[in-house]
Amino acid sequence: MQIWPLRFRDLDDQRTILADDSGAYFLAESGFVDRYARDAITPPEERFLREKGHAFEWAGDLAHTGFLTRWSRRQHVGGGSAYVILIPTLRCNLKCSYCQVSRAPLAAQGFDWDSETLQKVLGFLDGLPVEEIQIEFQGGEPFLRLDLLQAVAAFARRRFQRVRFVVCSNLQTLDEDILAFLDSEDVLISTSLDGPHQIHTRNRTADSALTKNFLSNLERVIGLIGPARVSALPTIDMDDPPDPEDLIAAYEAFGFTSLYLRPVNYQGFARKSHPAARTSTAWNAYYRGFIDTLIARNALTGRVMEEFYLAHCLRRILAPGLDGHTDLRNPNIPTGANAVIDFDGQIYPSDEARMLARIRRVNLAIGNVSDGLDQEKLALLAPGHINNFDPDCIHCPYQPFCGTDPIDDLSRSGRIDVPRQDSWFCQRHLAVFDLAMELIYSKDPAVEFTLSRWFGLETLPDALRPIAP
Amino acid sequence: MIPLRLKSECDRTLAPFVTRIAEEEPRCAEDATLWSEEAGTLGYQTGQIKFRLSDVAPAEVAGDVLLVDPRRQIAHRLIRAASPHNTFLITEQCDQLCLMCSQPPKPQHQDMFDHFLAASRLAPTGAQIGLSGGEPLLHKDALFAFIDAVFATRDDLCFHILTNGQYFERADLAWLRKHRARLLWGVPIYSDNPATHDEIVGKPGAFAQLSPNLALLGLAGAALELRTVVLRQNAPGLPSLADFIARHLPFAATWAIMQMERIGYGRMNWGRCFFDSSIDFASLGAAIDLMRARRQDVTLYNFPLCTVPPAYRDLAARSISDWKQKYLPACATCSLRDDCAGFFEWYREEDGFMEIRPQ
Repeated sequence: MQIWPLRFRDLDDQRTILADDSGAYFLAESGFVDRYARDAITPPEERFLREKGHAFEWAGDLAHTGFLTRWSRRQHVGGGSAYVILIPTLRCNLKCSYCQVSRAPLAAQGFDWDSETLQKVLGFLDGLPVEEIQIEFQGGEPFLRLDLLQAVAAFARRRFQRVRFVVCSNLQTLDEDILAFLDSEDVLISTSLDGPHQIHTRNRTADSALTKNFLSNLERVIGLIGPARVSALPTIDMDDPPDPEDLIAAYEAFGFTSLYLRPVNYQGFARKSHPAARTSTAWNAYYRGFIDTLIARNALTGRVMEEFYLAHCLRRILAPGLDGHTDLRNPNIPTGANAVIDFDGQIYPSDEARMLARIRRVNLAIGNVSDGLDQEKLALLAPGHINNFDPDCIHCPYQPFCGTDPIDDLSRSGRIDVPRQDSWFCQRHLAVFDLAMELIYSKDPAVEFTLSRWFGLETLPDALRPIAP
Repeated sequence: MIPLRLKSECDRTLAPFVTRIAEEEPRCAEDATLWSEEAGTLGYQTGQIKFRLSDVAPAEVAGDVLLVDPRRQIAHRLIRAASPHNTFLITEQCDQLCLMCSQPPKPQHQDMFDHFLAASRLAPTGAQIGLSGGEPLLHKDALFAFIDAVFATRDDLCFHILTNGQYFERADLAWLRKHRARLLWGVPIYSDNPATHDEIVGKPGAFAQLSPNLALLGLAGAALELRTVVLRQNAPGLPSLADFIARHLPFAATWAIMQMERIGYGRMNWGRCFFDSSIDFASLGAAIDLMRARRQDVTLYNFPLCTVPPAYRDLAARSISDWKQKYLPACATCSLRDDCAGFFEWYREEDGFMEIRPQ
């Protein structure tokens, strides 16, 4: 019997999480690693490893073939569809304290696509080798240039077989034309709701009346297109984070069943005004406390609120195929099919990459709409987006589910080769995956209730929490 | 029931022949056209041959591919143009004796490949045809040659082959790879416990043979449909089987969990095998939950919707072939009837599901 290599990490004093390269994990008491290292595991442990697909007898047997399949699915990233972010304007009618893009003032000149740039953007979209696309409008505030959104939408609906638009809007102002644009089934809204009124005001609007406008606009939009086509996320300022109960209540009040807790991105204005965003300790503690509150509350109310990011990471632990998320892999596979096109026609591999260029930290542009993609730069970036060969990640049991974020590394450290454990990305994700594993192995009925609902299951199968004998 | 055989009159001295009932103008020499229509009898002509069909309307057989057996005065409807459920019975021989077998094996084999080849060439464009038995791969060389011959002129067709998976060899890999896009292999696995699987299929060592052969299908990139009939013998082990599939058979395109068909050995063994999932869905639900968590496809075949808890109903397919499917009197008022698999023609209420509840 041959055992596939196992990586391990202590969950606490008694328990160790182990996983192989395919992402198959199990829990063992801490003595297991010792026996594994000395090649002295017991017959029941051998049997367990064989049954759970961590071992095989001969290359080509069923266990071996099953493992190869699971491993290859962890590596495979589906193609065939594009996810493009467009920034038709960098101007915004708000000035949030943590603005990561260093938005331009409302009246500024030269921060919008001109008609020539628009035509070239459409030309770029036309050349993408896909029939399915999601187009996300970022800003600035995209609705300041509804005319550009309409032009892109009209073109994309003709060009692609399947298309979806996400407008990332502060919903600060609505008018009849905007509402008419929202009326199409293929348009979704993503907005920011930082929680209770006074926190939202402090972080985003600086004016209680503006917050009131936003809240009534949000209600109106949900009433018009339904909660399924509207998502919201709170950005958490660790200097004064909202009480988790208040935050969840604010989301429930609008009928949301999912929220996505986001730390202040260490980009743009945040670098100066939110120095706390540099460190991960406070964030990790707050996040864990928030999840505890959420799970207890779900059990109490019987309603189920999802924290999207933890649920997403949990789903990635359980199965391959959920690879479309930039918070886990930034840049996501750097090709034109997930490009970001800035207000000036520059093309970036990710939204955060354009932010670094904006503060002149480093220019990570991979081309522009006039000259096309710069293949040399793409090739330079490509190795940085996978964690398979990182000298630290290869020892981590979470590597098959986790990702990497050289853009954030550049933003914080000016280089991409910092030891992983020193990086914000790694510290944040070790905490997320530790928490995820604790929850998977928890026998607390409240935890089981929340997890089974997040996974869309009636009950949580025991086979999801294998334990070595 | 839709008849699969029609009474047919023609010259008894003729050899059996394959013909297609032309829908409009004949498109090839094998097409037969209607030349007479009398009470209860239709007269057709193909080339110089004339034959009659009884008790059927022209529209019902339009486009059908028939094998006319003059000696027995029967026309087998090999392909019914209007149905997605067409199956060629390759052989009635089998090396397993499954407890619930709906088509018990017979010792003799009648080679029909020439007729199947002729019929396939006349099949509707893009049709999927089932190949079943018995165990089709007992005649593997002839079967593979037949498939090659069909694809040589009809690469729009695909075959759904039901096999017990006992007869694959490493040397088949290249052939399996070559046709992977056009062949769907339906292979039964009843338990991850070899003893339970072997007991159900009535063949010691069957699981030990099945396991590496499933790996061959995986290595070939073949499309694999795992099939598990739920029985009292294997129902408690379904969650364990689900874990086995997620870990060792992740390359399976789908896992079909099936209810029993009360015919053949299935009728004989009904009492000791039928598992009433309408009153106990727990092990099925746990197995399905695991497959969902692992993002692997699972389907329920032959489960009336009212026997399935609402959370799993979207998985229940209308799987029972049209010609042997029925509803019960109680189904008359059910709002889900149009989406429901219903029941096999030979299902009996007195020893069937306890909980049949019109929705």
